[in-house]
Amino acid sequence: MAGEHNKEYSIFQIAMNLTAACFISGAIIAGTYFITAPVAAEKAVMMKNDAMKALVKDAESFKPVKVKKEWFSAEKNGKVIAYVVPAESKGFGGAIKMLVAVTPEGKVIDFNILAHNETPGLGDNAGKDAFRGQFKDKKSEDLEVVKDKSKENNIQAMTGATISSKAVTKGIKEAVEQVTQFVGGK
Amino acid sequence: MRELWNIFKKGIIAENPIFVLALSLCPALAVTSTAINSLTMGLSVLFVITANNTVVSITRKVVNPKVRVPVYITSVATIVTVVQLVLQAYAPLLYKALGIYLALIVVFAIILARAEVFASKNSVIPSFFDGLGMGCGFALALLAIGIVRELFGTGAIFGIKVLGSWYNPALIMILPPGAFILIGYMVAGFKMLTQHLEKVKLERGEV
Repeated sequence: MAGEHNKEYSIFQIAMNLTAACFISGAIIAGTYFITAPVAAEKAVMMKNDAMKALVKDAESFKPVKVKKEWFSAEKNGKVIAYVVPAESKGFGGAIKMLVAVTPEGKVIDFNILAHNETPGLGDNAGKDAFRGQFKDKKSEDLEVVKDKSKENNIQAMTGATISSKAVTKGIKEAVEQVTQFVGGK
Repeated sequence: MRELWNIFKKGIIAENPIFVLALSLCPALAVTSTAINSLTMGLSVLFVITANNTVVSITRKVVNPKVRVPVYITSVATIVTVVQLVLQAYAPLLYKALGIYLALIVVFAIILARAEVFASKNSVIPSFFDGLGMGCGFALALLAIGIVRELFGTGAIFGIKVLGSWYNPALIMILPPGAFILIGYMVAGFKMLTQHLEKVKLERGEV
């Protein structure tokens, strides 16, 4: 191997150099993950509970609903006062994931946007009180986006973000309908 | 000390990443619709660019020049991933707020550029200060863009209303075209400022 003497590296050595870099990088990430993963999982459960508490303030405890995946029932004095249901719909920039709290009678209590890709400053205002507050106590048939201020029963669209408004409303409507179906079928 | 200060300072004015080098303009458009978003992004970049410059400088003698760019990208990606994992475990709320920004940082031109231009040729301490200065310049530039866009686009700064109800928000400032126009004016303004500074220097006979 004459290559080593005049500092000309063989392709193999160059490749090894990159491999070594990736290997070290992988080891560092794996090490970090090993330490942080259990803590992160614990925190995720805590965050989820906090999120549900924020949605249903009166609830004393949350129990997973057996037949429905990722559904939780919020209970007070042994009675179910609300269901917390995941919802998803397609917005302006992709899927909008939400957590919706619905009473057994099929009224919206509140909702929470978990992940979205909407335009900052326009569509992402859906999580703010001005828009979000409109959903409280609404029934499935009222959940319709309008641009007519006189229709107080319906949902007023956000300025410049009609698609996001419609998507959020659609997701919540579906969640409410699912709950009504679930309660009715029991 | 003076030399380090100069290295730090050039990132803020003379070689400002956005206004002078015109690097990483894409995130400067995408995430600066509000002041708080801009600040978050700026600070994240500040941290990653400083850390990456340090790592690249430490390893500059063992990395083969032919594969240096992939190695730099691996280094940035590692730093970002580690930061993500740590935040997810110990500061989930902050992680949620930073979520989309952190992943974007991996491909920032400015970070790769500083690794290539500066950190790979200089020792650790100057590289650290270069990263710090460039990061500060980037964060300040983003913050300036964010404040102007939020002010004209929604009439608020950091979410606090400053303009009264008489103000009709200009929607275009929130949307990408507004950012394009604004950055154009800001680059022009910055150019005028640096030219003026140079003229003053010349008149004093310093250069």
